[in-house]
Amino acid sequence: MGIRWSRVTPHLAVAPAALMTLVFFIGAIAWTVYLSFTASRRFPDYELVGWKQYWRLFHDASWLLSLQNLVIFAIGSLFSIILGFILAAMIDKEVHGEGIFRTIFLYPLAISLIVTGLVWRWLFNPGLGVENVLHSLGWQSASFNWLASQDTVMFGVILAAVWQSTGFFMALMLSGLKSINTEIWQAARLDGVPFWRLYIEVIIPMMKLTFFTCIILLCIGVVKAYDIIVAMTNAGPGGASIMPAYFVIDAYWQKQNLGYASAGATIMLLTTLVLFLPLVLVTVWRQKRSAT
Amino acid sequence: MTAISSNAGTSAPSAVKARRRPLIRPSRVVIFVFLLMAAAFFAVPLYVVIVTSFKTMDQIRLGQIFSLPSPWTTEAWSYAWTQACSGMNCNGVRVGFVNSLYILAPSLVLTISLSIVTGYGLALWNVKWANGFLFVLFICAFVPFQIIMYPLIKIAGGLHIYGTTFGIAVIHSVLSLPFLTLIFRNYFRGLPPQIIAAAMIDSGSFWRIFFEIVLPMSGNIMVVVLILMITGIWNDFLVGLTFGAQDTQPMTVVLNNITVTTTGAKNYAVDMASALLTALPPLVIYFVLGKFFVQGITAGAIKG
Repeated sequence: MGIRWSRVTPHLAVAPAALMTLVFFIGAIAWTVYLSFTASRRFPDYELVGWKQYWRLFHDASWLLSLQNLVIFAIGSLFSIILGFILAAMIDKEVHGEGIFRTIFLYPLAISLIVTGLVWRWLFNPGLGVENVLHSLGWQSASFNWLASQDTVMFGVILAAVWQSTGFFMALMLSGLKSINTEIWQAARLDGVPFWRLYIEVIIPMMKLTFFTCIILLCIGVVKAYDIIVAMTNAGPGGASIMPAYFVIDAYWQKQNLGYASAGATIMLLTTLVLFLPLVLVTVWRQKRSAT
Repeated sequence: MTAISSNAGTSAPSAVKARRRPLIRPSRVVIFVFLLMAAAFFAVPLYVVIVTSFKTMDQIRLGQIFSLPSPWTTEAWSYAWTQACSGMNCNGVRVGFVNSLYILAPSLVLTISLSIVTGYGLALWNVKWANGFLFVLFICAFVPFQIIMYPLIKIAGGLHIYGTTFGIAVIHSVLSLPFLTLIFRNYFRGLPPQIIAAAMIDSGSFWRIFFEIVLPMSGNIMVVVLILMITGIWNDFLVGLTFGAQDTQPMTVVLNNITVTTTGAKNYAVDMASALLTALPPLVIYFVLGKFFVQGITAGAIKG
């Protein structure tokens, strides 16, 4: 009997997952990339048309707008990292009622983005929502009907997204703060350094890796953002709040243009990979640092 | 109030703790006020939705979203559960609730059993190409779903599970496989090596060590993974939308349909009650198992 089962069994056990990854991820990605070079409509078309779909994409005002919105959304969402850090730092200092505050800041994370979108759509409701309350308080010119205007719709979506995701970044920041070397922190404290200088000069520089991870995770999440757009605006008004993920799915289901949708999806993949590389480097670096 | 001075700075050593500090300092007041304002920003939307769901349409039309309902009515809740219209179907959110359960159960079994074995194999045994495989899993965990959507639709169609709740469950299992494998693998890597080494010398059998040593030691990580999966699958929208048929859609999709259905007069209280019903299961998990919930989301984010 030449077979050594202790060598073979682990491979057999890992094989199903490896096979699934190969087919459902690697194979699927390859198929989508291939389709992006064809003129496929409803069904795959195996005739290659080169870069035509990509060329079309970059002359499509709606796609370009979706990229612009992607950048706006990412920059606006950075606020949730900043707010998350401030809240984490404050909670770390404020002992009274820490648990209650943390619970309140984190609960939006448990809720589906569809519910979040619906809730905020309701608050933005003209006439019945927050706007009416502002009017009845005597602020007649106040407008909170942000989702109705092309100029403000993205701010409305960003506000809801910040509400949803701040707790997540606060949790990451809290664990980052806890891992800081407390000796430095306490030495500075005993020297009577004011707390804001301590943060700017010591804590934030020491947490730059956490900040960096948060930013990359945020960007990868923004590229995928779809649910919140559907729940709040359906890309409206007049297509003003379209995002790449929405554009791709719309191109596939509504316009029934598979090749075009695949080209958009491939660009999304490339964007994710570019964002992903620094994350890998940081993770590897972190593991090396903790190993030594 | 004495609690403040005796507890000030949990991270500080006893020397600092013993140092006398004034009870109320300006910086502390500023922090507390800011935290209160932030708490209002996060809590008010939920408050508004809850009170709105108990109002009648006449009260809602007054436009005072912060005021309490008078009288309180649970009409919208029962209507949302049994009669609200999603497209042409007027059977309420309970249809979606049941579908979500049918999606959740097989998906949990499939994905956890597969990923725990894979994670165990990769962490503790000599597997060829293990590092390469881990790197691929790491990338796959971040790939946006849109990129593999069409091929997955084709595969599900070929397997004749497209449009069924089981089909949605399988797709969820596929999508969460990379993440979960990495989480399990990291966890098993951290098990005390002496125990594993002793077990290997003792029996050396892959499956015996798994069932007798590793699985019994996985209680904590299992709870974390369960929370991560249950909330993730329950809150999913896109997979359910793409792979569900008219009568197999999960609760989030049904909810979205209810809120955009415009047949008859719009009753906002029903929308709010439907939203709360949809949000309730993950919220219950969050409030009951908060610590594990936070572990789950942060494990998924950093170590994934």
